This record gives sequence, structure tokens and C-alpha cells, in this order.
Amino acid sequence: MNDAIVEIAMLVTFVLMALWAVLATKLLRAVVALAATSVLVTLLLFRLDSPLAAVFELSVCAGLVSAIFLGAITLTQPENEAEVAVSAKERIRRYWYLPPLLLLLGVALLQVALPDVPTTAAAADDVRKVLWTSRHLDLLGQITVLVAGAFGVIVLFKEARKNER
Amino acid sequence: MTPTLHILLAICLAPALALVLLLIPSRARSLREALAVVAATANLGLVATTFGQQSRIELPWLGTSFDLSLRVYHTASFVTTAAAGFGLLVTLYSLPFMRKHSAHGAHYALMLLSLGMANGAVFSNNLLLLLFFWEGLLGTTYGMIAIGHAGAFKTATKALIISGITDLCLMLGIALVWAQAHTLTMTNLRLPLEGMAPAAFVLLMIGAISKGGSMPFHSWIPDAAVDAPTPFMAFLPASIEKLLGIYLLSRLALDLFELTPQSWLSTLMMVVGSVTILLAVLMALIQKDYKRLLSFHAVSQVGYMILGIGTAVPIGIVGGLFHMINHAMYKSCLFLTGGAVERQAGSTDLASLGGIGRKMPITFACFIVAAASISGVPPFNGFFSKELVYDGALERGTIFYLVAVAGSFLTAASFLKLGHAAFLGPRDKKNDGVREAPGAMLFPMLVIAGFCIFFGVNNAFPIDQLIVPMLPEHLIAEARSAGTHFSGWPSNPTLVAMTAAALLGALINHGFGVKLYGSGLHAADHIHDSPGLRWVYDRAERRWFDPYELFMRGSAYFAQAANKIDRANDWLVVGLGRLAQFASRGVRAAHTGNTSAYIVWSLIAATFIVIYLGQ
Amino acid sequence: MLTLFVLVPLLVLLLLNISWRALPRIVPQAAVLVLGFADVVFGLALPTLPVNSEIPVLSELHFGLVADDLTRVFLVSIGLVICAAAFVNQESMTTERAHRNFCSLLLVSLIGMNGAVLLSDFFSLYVFLEVTAIASFILIAIERGIFAVEGAFRYLLLSAVAAMFMLTGVGLMVFTIGDTTFSAVHESLTIANGSPLLLKMAVGIFIIGLFIKGGLVPFHGWLPGAYSSAPPGVSVLLAGIVTKVSGIYALVRIAQDVLVSDPSLSMILLVAGSASIVVGAIAAIGQSDLKRMLAYSSISQVGYIVIALGAGTELGIVAATFHLFNHAIFKSLLFVDSASVESRLGTTDMGKMGGIGAKMPWTGTTTGIAMLSAAGIPPFSGFWSKLLIVLALWKAGREGFAILAVVASVLTLGYFMVMQHRAFFGKPSTQLDSVKEASAGYVVPAVVFALITVLTGVFFPLLKDSPLSFLLLNKGLSW
Repeated sequence: MNDAIVEIAMLVTFVLMALWAVLATKLLRAVVALAATSVLVTLLLFRLDSPLAAVFELSVCAGLVSAIFLGAITLTQPENEAEVAVSAKERIRRYWYLPPLLLLLGVALLQVALPDVPTTAAAADDVRKVLWTSRHLDLLGQITVLVAGAFGVIVLFKEARKNER
Repeated sequence: MTPTLHILLAICLAPALALVLLLIPSRARSLREALAVVAATANLGLVATTFGQQSRIELPWLGTSFDLSLRVYHTASFVTTAAAGFGLLVTLYSLPFMRKHSAHGAHYALMLLSLGMANGAVFSNNLLLLLFFWEGLLGTTYGMIAIGHAGAFKTATKALIISGITDLCLMLGIALVWAQAHTLTMTNLRLPLEGMAPAAFVLLMIGAISKGGSMPFHSWIPDAAVDAPTPFMAFLPASIEKLLGIYLLSRLALDLFELTPQSWLSTLMMVVGSVTILLAVLMALIQKDYKRLLSFHAVSQVGYMILGIGTAVPIGIVGGLFHMINHAMYKSCLFLTGGAVERQAGSTDLASLGGIGRKMPITFACFIVAAASISGVPPFNGFFSKELVYDGALERGTIFYLVAVAGSFLTAASFLKLGHAAFLGPRDKKNDGVREAPGAMLFPMLVIAGFCIFFGVNNAFPIDQLIVPMLPEHLIAEARSAGTHFSGWPSNPTLVAMTAAALLGALINHGFGVKLYGSGLHAADHIHDSPGLRWVYDRAERRWFDPYELFMRGSAYFAQAANKIDRANDWLVVGLGRLAQFASRGVRAAHTGNTSAYIVWSLIAATFIVIYLGQ
Repeated sequence: MLTLFVLVPLLVLLLLNISWRALPRIVPQAAVLVLGFADVVFGLALPTLPVNSEIPVLSELHFGLVADDLTRVFLVSIGLVICAAAFVNQESMTTERAHRNFCSLLLVSLIGMNGAVLLSDFFSLYVFLEVTAIASFILIAIERGIFAVEGAFRYLLLSAVAAMFMLTGVGLMVFTIGDTTFSAVHESLTIANGSPLLLKMAVGIFIIGLFIKGGLVPFHGWLPGAYSSAPPGVSVLLAGIVTKVSGIYALVRIAQDVLVSDPSLSMILLVAGSASIVVGAIAAIGQSDLKRMLAYSSISQVGYIVIALGAGTELGIVAATFHLFNHAIFKSLLFVDSASVESRLGTTDMGKMGGIGAKMPWTGTTTGIAMLSAAGIPPFSGFWSKLLIVLALWKAGREGFAILAVVASVLTLGYFMVMQHRAFFGKPSTQLDSVKEASAGYVVPAVVFALITVLTGVFFPLLKDSPLSFLLLNKGLSW
């Protein structure tokens, strides 16, 4: 029962965060909101006994992707106050349909009858072990992701700063 | 040479050489001409040597159930040899005629291509393959008209549309045959005329007679006579297209369907044939242009062939087929004389011609032979084939016979007028310097005129050796048991007397006309002006009876659409293009560059997918 | 030894970047070309190689990689397009540093794609697609033009959404069967103990992610901006192979090995495919920018691949793979040509190109070939793959979709004719007087690709029995 409440609370927060990410007027806030959604997804994945997916979601989305976001932000010109106010109103007018739409989609998804699932997840520890020990290839992949991310930061960040100087 | 290689070579050699010919620069015109003559000769050699062979070739295609099937047999050898013969003669004739033409290379290339296509169509033993070559000929027809002069494009398009529509009918007919018989191999087809088969027959027949140039699909031919180069007229509408159209019609009536004299389809063919004979010859009578007059006869004469084959009795069929080869000869000969006059006198307008027979005696002589043939004067070939058709028509109904004889009368009258106006009578001063055509143009005319006489005097050879073997066994047996013999002097003296009376009538009528109006050119004007007919003629001259023109005038909307097809190049960009641009604007308007909107689209679509999978 | 496809580029990548002095330009360039070429050669020669005899040191790092004919098609395509991108990049990148970075990122992309086509597990697939995707974000934005950054950003956002879906799918798989390999998922689906519905939904959700990566309508929002704003070499890479590997390869793999002839999957693929074909083609007609138009044309062509998969038959898979190969060739060719035009004119606005074909004969001719191939005109290779697609759909009883595919290829011809009409044909304006043919770095790959298109098309009837029959997956089908 408690688990269910926690999960529902997390889902609701997740939706709210996602909405914020879309509606936020400042890019920085949008990034923060997105990072928060990533964290929530990670937590949800952990709770669903999918730890590896969780780890990757955290490392890829919350970490690197946000870093590159920040890079993009530094490259764009900030808006002045008046523009922000206008665009905020604009945005609310443009996306008024989002909350009801999400609600509708949620209701629609509830119509999908999910069958009872046999809990192979009972042996969650085993799963974790098996996953970590037989996943060399994914480690290789993650190394490459890190290398690529490093490149991104160097190429987009460092050189941009050099140009500013 | 294996039969397979032999036939494939007959189909591919001429088109391949046509491509080579196109590579020769226009400076080396003589080289092009030499190549064209060599190719046409080789083509004639290849198809002539198939005589007497019997073989079938199956080439599997892409592993489907459609085999590309070819067949060599008597009819195919005969038709292709005739076509190749005309091809060679017209090539020779073109040498001086097309020498200075701007589309010199294209003319020869298209001729060779047409020869290959014609061979392919006749050797095909599969209706789909036949359709392929049929459409190919449509393309070469278009090209050969379009190279005439700057404005010929319009006429070419007219031909393309009319033939395109009838080819569509052919295609539908083939589809119906497939639905009925589940095979398109012609040797396996023998459909009883029941169920959908009559519809298939009519559709296929439309394809065949339209290629032959019958009414009501004829209206591009007179226009092409004015716009296209004359060798084209002698080559395609006068000979090869007639051969092919009547070839297919005979296959339909003799093998592919079980056509009996009792069938309403037989009557339908006879009606189409009779109407074509009469209306086209009436139009021919009043023409004031050498080539245009001939072209209406090209339409009218095909009526005799359709009438003959449509009778579905042996004597009529033999007459129709014999008339096919005879017509190809005398009509191409006539067009060739027309071309010679055009080249030497600079005009084909009868009003400005006259009295040049003395200056061009050989051309005139050839004209007389061919004109006598087409009018059915004994002992030239046209007389014998017409008598056979009359005989068949009389067997089926007196009315058909009377129409055919009336056609004969009018034919003779119009050729008396043509010969009188062009070659006899007073000569205009500017024609004093006209000289006889060059040898390369005279030679084909003389050869063909010679054949006209040979096939007439010695008609037993073509009829017994070439035509009768084209008939299926049971018809030959039927004729033999009835004691009919096709060759030799016509067996029914009454019919001969009627013909003689018609010819004599034509002569008297001509004399009467000349007396009335004082010139050969106007000798038929009293027919034109006779009450009743005058009304019809007035409207015909305004093209009220040209289905193409009717279609064009149909309504403002139709005219607009046709106009767009007319400018086929712009059509895609302008018409469809505009629609597409309109749709495109809508799609682009949706792509605002708003990332959030894109994400929302994705999410909505994703939801649909999940819900669909969850069902 | 299949591991080497991943390990060697990784090693080269590290070596290139630990050097303390700037290497001469030729070294990274040569490295990329050699590795790309190696992909082609080994892709062609794979069956003759001792794949299973493991080299001692490497046997520890086996990773369960497998290669079948589908993999070979992709290895060859990846290699060809990488080489073309390197060629174009060599010409278009101005600064040394940008060039070096570009080569390194190209290697990252190569690692990602090589890995993706060799492995046999959903989660690993996700990881390697992410490798490719990150390389692509940076590549698009590498010159930091305002539109490029915007394009990269949009791609990144939608990729994040895609990653979310793919991870959800993987999570559900682990949740239901505790395994994510293709074979395990396939078995659990067919044996039908447990919960095939949830598992099927897991695969379906994974596929949604693939749709976004592959740029299918309506998941395509990122694609036109990313393709058209990227530097020339990157456009070639993205359009030619990256989106195909990251989106479409996995779809083919799933259709072949996991959800075999599943009716609901077929329906989803058919609908998404036909929407892409139509919307992509219609949008392409109205574009005035050459690269944007090619981008929309890519969407439409990808639609053909997906609709063929939707036939749900072996012939459909063969048709999809073959069209994918052809598309990789002719679309790369078109982007190479757009790059050479851009190199001479400094713009890809078709309004400013009128009659450029006369000034740049090689570019004009190869564009014409690619365009005819894309529109499915015989005898070019595109004709055969479209024929196979239509045949596959027809034989599978999807006549309506087959007709749609035929009708839409008229649209394809339509927009390419608009392009030729505006950009290449006609009389060159006087402003173009000084324009010359592009340099060899553009012309060589263009001619090579044009030759591949023509030769594959002309010799297609012989393809089935030739050493190259793997392009048709060696299924020995008759049609």
C-alpha cells in the first residue's frame, strides 16, 4: 500500500516536473527541471527492479545531457526582462492544452489492461549480479559515451570561452 | 543460327542500330543513311528467312508466371516480311526526301525502332508482350509526327492521346482475358464468346482497329498527313500500322475468340467497317490537298478489311486479309507519289498543281497503277480483294454489299478528281520548271507499282501461298467442302458487272462534274453541294464528327484539362505541382520549428501505439 | 574477432588524442579512411574470415557479438558513408582543430554504429545508439552556427525522449523475463508462458524510441533542422547512415529476429511508414533549400523501408534491407553533391542555383542519377528495391499500401523534378559565370556512389547468384 502511494506520488511529481520543463521561461530552469525528471525516472526504474537501466538513465541523461544543455545555454543570448514576460504569457497561451491533454492520455492509458505479471523480479539481486557480470560490452559503450561527452565539453565549451576572450 | 537467336535478333537488331545511328554526328549524313539502309536490309533478311519455320520461344521473366513468349509461324513471317519490305523501300525513298531535314537522324532512328517494335508485336505470343511493343509503336509514331515541323507537336499529341486511349482499352481487354482464361499466351487462348468475353473482344478490337486507323479513331491521320514528313505517312499509317492492326484483328476473329457469323460481334465489326468506308470516302472526295485526300482513303480502305474479316465467312476473311496487303502496297505507293510531287513542285495543294503529269511521267504512271488498284479496276490487285470482300458481305447482308459498292464508286470518283487536278489539265506557269523525281524515290514507287500488277494478274500466288495459310484449319476445310476457290477471276459474274457499273458511273459522274465546273479540281463539287449532303459536309469541315475535337470542345473544364495535357511538359509542374505545393504549404505551416510541438506530436503518437498494443 | 570492429577504432581514437603535439592533418584523416574502408572490406569478406577462432588475448572480451547478412549489409554501408563523410569534411572544414575534432567524433560515431549492428541485446543496443547520438549532437553543433546549435539542441531533446522510451522498454523486459537479449525475448514471446502482452508492449515502447531516432512521421520534428544546419560532411553522415543505423537497423533486426510476422507490429509499421512517405514527399515539394528538401526526402524514403517491413514477410525484410542499402548510397550521394554546390556558391538556396548543372557537369550528372534512383526509375538500383517493396506488400495482401507506395513515388519524381528544374537545368545566370566544378574531394565520392547505384541497378538480375547476394540477405527468394 505504502509502496503504491510512494510510486503514485513519484509519478505525479514526474509529470509536474516534465510540465515545468516545457513551460519554464528560462532555459536554465528548464534544464534543472529536466534533470529532476531524470532523477525521478531513475528512482522509478530502481523501484521497478531495473537497476542497470536506472544507472544509465542517471549517467547519460542527468549527467552528460545536462552538461551539453548547459553548453548550449552559454552559446545563446539571454533575453531581456520584457521579452521574458512576453514569452511567458505567449507560452502559457500556446500550451494551455497540455495539462488536460496529459490527463486525457493518462485516462486512455489506464484503459490498457495490463495482465498480472509473474514476479521473476523476485530474484532481483541475482538479476543485478548477472547483469553486472555479463555486461562488459556495455561498459565499453559507456567509456565511449564518456569520451564523446568529454569531446563535447571541450569542443563546445572550452573553445567557446576561448573565443570570448 | 538457333531460332531463339534469330528472332531476338529480328526484334533487337534494328533498334540497336537505331541507337548507333543516333550517335553519328549530323555532319556525317551519308554514314547515317548507309547505316539505315543496311539495317533495313538486314531486318528484311532476318524476317524473310523465317518463312516456313515453326517454333516457339519461352523466356522466363523474373521468375514470375509471365513468360515472355515468342512464336514464329506463317502469319507472323508474312506480316513482318511485308512490314520489313515497306521499311526498306521507304528508307530508300527517304534518302533524297529527308536529306535536308533538321531531324534527319531522328527520322531514321525512329523508323528502325518502329521496325523492331513491329517485329516484336507480331512475333509475340503473349498479349502483355504484344501490348509492350504496341505502346512502343505509339511512342515512335509520336516522335515521327513531332519532327515534322515546329507546329506538328500538336498533331503528335492528338495522335498520342487518341491512340493512348485506345491502347488503354486494349490493356483493359487483356485484363479481362486474363480474368476469363487465366493465361495470356495466345496459342493457348480460344475463348467462347460468353460471359465477359464479348466485352474483352470489343476492347481488344478497339485497340486493333484504332491501330488500323478505322473510324472513329482516325482523326489524327488527316492532320498528320499535312504535318508529318511524307515518308512517315507511307511508312506507318499507310502500311505498317494497317498491317499490325489488321493482323491483331484477324488473330482476334480467327484464333483468340470463337467468332461465328451468327455472333452480334461479327455484325458489329461489319457495321464499323461499312460506316468507316462510307464516311471516310465522302470526306476524301471533297479534300483539296493531295496528301490529306489520300489520308482519308487510308481510313476508308481499312473499312473494307474490317468488313471482310467481320463477315466471319472464309471468303470475306480472305478478302479482308488480301486487301490488307494490297492496301499497304497501293496506299504507300500513292503517298510516295504525293511526296515526289511535294518535293518537285513544292506543294501538295491541288489548286496550285495541275498538268505536271507530262513533266513527271514515271510518277504519273505509278499513280495511275496505284489509283486503279485502289478503285478496284481489273486486273490490278485491289479489284480481286474487293471482289472477295463483296462476296463475303453479300453472304451476310445486301445492305453491307451496297455500302461497299457505293464506297467503291466514290473512291473511283475521288481518284479521278485527284489525278485530273494534279497531273492533267492546264499547267500553272510556276510549275513549268518541275522535273521528274530522283531515282532513289522512283525506285520504291516502281517496285510497289510492279507488285500491284503482279498481285493482280497473278493473284493465285499471293492468295494461295500467303493468305489462305493464315486461316485456321477448320475454315479452310469449310471453304474446301463448299467448293469455294479464292484465287482466279471472281466466280460471281453479277458482282463483276455491278463493279464495272460503279466504275463506269464514276467516270460518267466525273465527266459531268468537269462539264459543270470546268475543272478537275471541282469535279466532285456537285456531290458536295447536293441537298442533304451539304449540311453534313459543312459540319464535317467544322470537325463536328471528329471525336477528338468533340472531346476537346466538350466543356470548358475538359478543354482546359486537355490543354494541359497538350503542354505535357508543364503539366506536372503546373497542375499537379500546384496541388502538391498547396499541400506542401499546409505541411510546412505545421512545422513551426517549435521543439515542444514536435515533442508533443511524438508523445501523442507514442500513446496511440501503446494503446494499440495494449488492446 | 568481431570485437575488433569496436576495439580497434576505440584504440585509434585514444591514440589520436593522447599525443602531446598536434598531429599533421593527414593522420586522423587517413585513420578514418582506413577504418571505414576496413568496414567495407571485412563486411564483404566476413564469411571467409575465422570469426569463431578467437585470438587468445581477445577471447576474454567476446561480448557475444554476432554477424549475419543483415550485419554485413550495414557494415558495408557504414564504411562507405564514413569514407564519403571524411572526404567531404577534408574539403569543407577550414581550421586544423575543427578537422581533428571532426575525425575523432567520426570515429566515435563509427564505434557506436559498428557496435550497434553487431550486438544482440536490447540494452547494449540502447547504449551504442546513445554513443552514436552523442557524437552526432556534437558534430552538428561543431561549428557553433546559430541554426546548427538549434538543430543539435532539438535533436538532443527528442533523443532524450527516445532514450526515455527505450529505457522504459528495456526496464519492462527486465521486469518480465529478466533478460534483454533478442533471442530470449523472441523465445518468451513465442512460447507464450508468462506474459507475452507486457513483453510485446515492452518491445513496442522500445520501437517508439527507434521511430524517434529514425525520424518517422510524426516523430520527425528534429530531422529537417538537424540535417540542413549541420556542416556538409555531417549531413552526409547523418542522412546516409546514422539515422538508418540508430532507427531503422534495429527495426529490421526486430522484424527479423524478435517480433517475427507479428500482425500488430506490422500495422504500426505500415501506418508509420505510409505517413512518412506521404508527409515527407509533400513537404519536400515546397522546400526552397536544397538540403532541407533532401532531409524531407529522407523521411519519405525511410517510410518506404518501414512500410516494407510492415509486410511482415521475408520478402519484405529483404526489400527493406536492399532499399536501405540503396538509400544509404543515393542519399549520401545527394548530400555530397549539395556539399559541392555549397562549396562553390556558399548557399544551398535552390533559387540561386538556376542552371548550375551546366557549370558543374559531374555534380549535375551524379545528382540526376541519384534522383532517378530515388524515384525508382529503371535501370537504377532504387527501381529494383521499390519493385521489391511493392511486390512484398502485394504478396502480403496489403494491396492498398502497395498502391500508395507506387503513387507516392510519382510524388518523389515530382519533387526531384522541381529540384532539377530549379537548381540544375536551364541556362546558368550570369552571376554563375565564374563557378567551376567542385574539387576532387567532392567529385570522387560522388562518382563512386553514382557508379555503385548504376552497377547495382544494371546487374541486379545477376545479384542473386553473385558473391554480393548478401545484399538480398541470401534468402533465396523467388518473386
